Amino acid sequence: MKPEMRHQLAQLSFEEKIRKVGELIRLSRKVKAQRVRQDVPNYPRSAFRNPK
Amino acid sequence: MSKEPSAIPLADVLRAANELVSAGLIEDYALGGALAAIYYVEPFTTYDADIIFIATDKTLSAGIPTIYSHLQSKGWRVEREHLLIKDFPVQFLAASGLTEEAVRKAKPIEYEGVPAKIFRPEYIIAIAASVGRHKDLARIEQLLKQAKIDKTLLDDILRRYKLKLPKL
Repeated sequence: MKPEMRHQLAQLSFEEKIRKVGELIRLSRKVKAQRVRQDVPNYPRSAFRNPK
Repeated sequence: MSKEPSAIPLADVLRAANELVSAGLIEDYALGGALAAIYYVEPFTTYDADIIFIATDKTLSAGIPTIYSHLQSKGWRVEREHLLIKDFPVQFLAASGLTEEAVRKAKPIEYEGVPAKIFRPEYIIAIAASVGRHKDLARIEQLLKQAKIDKTLLDDILRRYKLKLPKL
């Protein structure tokens, strides 16, 4: 991000900044949840029904 | 603008801290940590709030059990070292030395109509210098670049607490 943009963000009201932090938290949770879903391997269902 | 409620119930946190002062359970408090830094710099991700308080009772436990039971009676949950309000973790930390001075000299603010106090940037920098983790060094750099710093005050704090700014 450009330094000027960072300075602009730093000038926002505290309330607005906290709202943006909230959005960042939501986004990071969403990305984490998506990664977890992608990391789950696609085992055939039978592997769970008939464990050895 | 999004109508969704903020993921950070900061007004509730500050209101609760004010109640602790009114109830005489703590003498004073200020918002510290990452959220205090965000007051002065661009927003960045953080997952908890730090309330630094001056205990009324300065015994070893510094009144923490009383604070916990008071907040639990108001619906807060305990999860490891955090108290949770609306699923948002808050840490209550007893002040001493530099952090106690930071609370006493904290800047009065109003957040969504709730009066509160927040660490001044010079104290956030000095505390970060005393802790010295990677994220603290990043915080110092960010504050020096983006916040208005009273250099005389910062130098005075660093000198009195025998601290040095890291080479950035």
